[in-house]
Amino acid sequence: MYLTQTSFYNQNVNGFTTIENFTTGAIHMNDKMKKIATGLLAGVMTLSLAACGSNNSGSGNASATNNGTGNSSNTGEKVTIELAISKSSQDSAFVAQDLLDEFEQKTNIKVNLQLLPAEQTATVLQTKLAVDEVPDLIQYNLASAVTDLNLERNFEILDNEPWVGRLLNKDVLSANDHVYSFHVSQDTGMQGVVYNKDIFKELGLAIPNSYEEFLAVCEKIKASGVTPVFMPFKDNWAANIWPAAAFADWAAKNEPSLFDDINAGRKKWSDVPEFATFLQQQYDVYKKGYTNTDILSDSYDMAVGKFLNKETAMMFMGDWLIVNVAEKDPSMHLGLFAIPSSDGASLGASPLGGQLFIPKKAKHMDEAKKFLEFIASKEVAQKIVDAQGYVSNFSDVTTPKLPEYKQEIVDQYITPKKTVLTTDAYMIVDRSELYRLLQDEFAGGLDPAGVLKAWDEKFSQLMKDKGAEGF
Amino acid sequence: MKISKKLYSYYLIWPALLIYSIFFVLPALTGLFYSFTDWRLDRESIKFIGFDNFERIFTDRTLLLAIKNTAIFAVVTVLGKNLLGIALAVGLNMKLKSKNVLRAIFYSPSILSVLVISIVFTPMLRSDGTINRIFDAVGLHSLNQAWLTNPSIVILTVAAVSIWQHTGFQMAIYLAGLQSISKEYYEAATIDGAGSWRSFRSITIPLLLPAININLMLTLIGGLKVFSEVFVLTGGGPGNASQVVGTIILRSFGEGSWGLGTAVNTLLFAAVTIIAIPLLIFMRRKEVSE
Repeated sequence: MYLTQTSFYNQNVNGFTTIENFTTGAIHMNDKMKKIATGLLAGVMTLSLAACGSNNSGSGNASATNNGTGNSSNTGEKVTIELAISKSSQDSAFVAQDLLDEFEQKTNIKVNLQLLPAEQTATVLQTKLAVDEVPDLIQYNLASAVTDLNLERNFEILDNEPWVGRLLNKDVLSANDHVYSFHVSQDTGMQGVVYNKDIFKELGLAIPNSYEEFLAVCEKIKASGVTPVFMPFKDNWAANIWPAAAFADWAAKNEPSLFDDINAGRKKWSDVPEFATFLQQQYDVYKKGYTNTDILSDSYDMAVGKFLNKETAMMFMGDWLIVNVAEKDPSMHLGLFAIPSSDGASLGASPLGGQLFIPKKAKHMDEAKKFLEFIASKEVAQKIVDAQGYVSNFSDVTTPKLPEYKQEIVDQYITPKKTVLTTDAYMIVDRSELYRLLQDEFAGGLDPAGVLKAWDEKFSQLMKDKGAEGF
Repeated sequence: MKISKKLYSYYLIWPALLIYSIFFVLPALTGLFYSFTDWRLDRESIKFIGFDNFERIFTDRTLLLAIKNTAIFAVVTVLGKNLLGIALAVGLNMKLKSKNVLRAIFYSPSILSVLVISIVFTPMLRSDGTINRIFDAVGLHSLNQAWLTNPSIVILTVAAVSIWQHTGFQMAIYLAGLQSISKEYYEAATIDGAGSWRSFRSITIPLLLPAININLMLTLIGGLKVFSEVFVLTGGGPGNASQVVGTIILRSFGEGSWGLGTAVNTLLFAAVTIIAIPLLIFMRRKEVSE
C-alpha cells in the first residue's frame, strides 16, 4: 500500500497537469511497480495467514523442549507422550498435574496434554486418526468411541495388560468381548426414576415394583397437588431414558441375544411386541395427566428447579440429576429406582465414560501402556478412587464412603446384580433420529408401533452406510 | 474532462481472488465432488457412487418433508416480508410526526441476534404463553395453539417469527425506493384525477420495481437457505416436523453421512441458483426507468 501511495505522489510532483493524464499516466508508468506491490501485498497476507496457523504448534514445541531440559535430572532419554482430552474433561483425575509430575519423576516419561475444544472433540479426533497424526493416549467415552471413532479399527486391544486381571467389572471397559479402555471406576452412572424421598415419605408411598403400582403412586401424588412426573421432552433425548432401560431389562431377562441379532440384521426393533408396550406405557403416563402439561416446550435445564421448588416428585433421568440438585441444595433427599416397566425391573446403567484409550498407531505405545499401569497401581488408584468417590473397579482397591443415594443404589441394585446396561450400550449408530421419533410420539405424529417401524428403517439405513454385515 | 474509472489497478484484486479461490471456490468444487461419493466417518476409502446420494434424498421421507417445509417457509416469508414491508414503508413515508421513531422501532428486530429472538419467543409461544393468554383475554380461546409443538403448524410459526424479525429490514429498502420517486408524478396524477390506489398502482409500484426486485431476491434466497430460525426455535422438532434443508445438512453431518450431507448442500445450492437467476432476469426486464 505504502509503495503505491508514494508513486502517486511522485507522479504529481513530476508535473502531470490534467487529471486524465495523472490517473492513466500513473497506471501506465507504474505497471511494474504495481505488479510488485500487489504481489508483495498478496504475499504478506498469505504469510500472515500461514503464521497464524503455525504459531501454536511452534510455541507448543518450544515449551515442551524447555520443560524437557529443565527436568532432565533422571538418567536415560526423556520421552514425551501426547494425551488428547476434551477441554470439558480437563478436570479428569487422570490428567491432574501432580499425578503427571509423579509419573514423570518415576519413569522419565512426560505426558503432554492436548486440550481439544469441547464441541469439536469428536471431529478433531476423527481427523487426527484419519491422517495418522495420532496422540498416544485419548480420553473418551467407550460407547461414543464405538459410534464416532471406529473403535476396532483405531484402538489397541488391552486384554493382556497386567492390570486386567485385577478388574472387578471388565464389561464397562470392553466392547466385542475385548478390553479396549481403561478406568479405575466401575461407577457407570445409573438411569431410572429420580424421586423426592421426602414427598414419598409424607404421602406414605413405597417404591413401586410394577407399572400398575407406579400409576397408583402417580395418582396419589397428583391428588396431593404435586406434578407426579416432569417430562422435559423439548430435549428429545430425555424421552429415551424410559425405553432405553425398559428394552434392555426385557432383553436381558427374555432374550439375551436380542441386541446381537438386531446388530447383525437378523431381527428388527419392531419384532418385539413388548417394546411397543413400553413406549405406550411412557405415553400413558403423559396421557393420564401425571406430567407437566407442556412437555414438548419444557427442557431439561428446568429440571433442577422443578425439584428444588418441590413442583414435581419424579422424573425419568440419570443419577447425575441428583448430584446437580444436591449442589444447589444439599438438604434435598432424592433417590433413584428402576424404571417400572415390568415387575421387579433392573436399574438401567449408562455406559461408563471418561476412559483412556491407546490408538493402534500410537508412536509411543509402550510408554502409553506404562502410564496406564502407573494409574492402575494400588496406591495411585486408591488415591484417585478416594478423592473422586468412585466405586472401585480393582479387587485390591477399596471403595470409599459414598453419598447416601449412591450407597442405596449400591446396596439395592449393584450388589444384588440388579442392573442392566441400557440399549445405548448396544447401539453402534447415531441415535439422534430415535430420539426425534420418540418426541414425535408425544407430538401425536406416530404411535408406538410407528416409532419402532420408522426407527427400523433409519437403523438399517445407518447400519448399511456403516458397512455392517447383514444390512 | 474525463475522470477515468481506473483509479486503482485490477492487480489489486489478486490477493482477494486468491483467498476467495482457496477458501470458497476450491471447497465448493470439492463439495461437489464429495456429493457423488459415499464419504463417511467410518469408511476407510471413499468410493464414487454416482447419483445414489441424490436418489436417496428424493426417496427419504424426512428429506422430502424438509424440502416441502423449506418451500413453505420460503413462499410464506417472501410474501409476508414484502407485502408487510411495502405497507409499512408506504405508511411511514407519509407526513407523520412519529415517523422517525416508528421507523427505528420497526427496524430494530432485524438487528437482534436470532438466538435472542428465540429466547424471547419460545416462552411466548408455549401453550400457556403470552400469545395464547392474549387470545384468552379477548375471548378468542378457539385460536389457541401449541404454536411450536403442533407438527402441522410449527413451520408457519417459525416463518411468522422470521417475518416479524426481518420485515423492518425490507421496509428500509422500500423506503429508500419510495423516496427516490419524484413528487411531481403524484402531483400530475392528482391533477388528472387519480385516487390514491390508482397512483399507488400506476406510479409507486412500477417505479419501486428495482427495490421490489432486490427484496424478492434477498427474501427468497434467505428463505431457501433458512437454518438458524428453525434451529434455535424448534431444532427441527417436534420429531422431524419442522426440519428444513439447512437442518437436514447438519443432521447428515452429525450422523457421519458426510457424502449425503454435501449432496444435500449441493442440491440446495443448485435450487437457489435455478430459482433465483431466471427470476432475477425476468424481474429486470420489467423494470422501467423514470
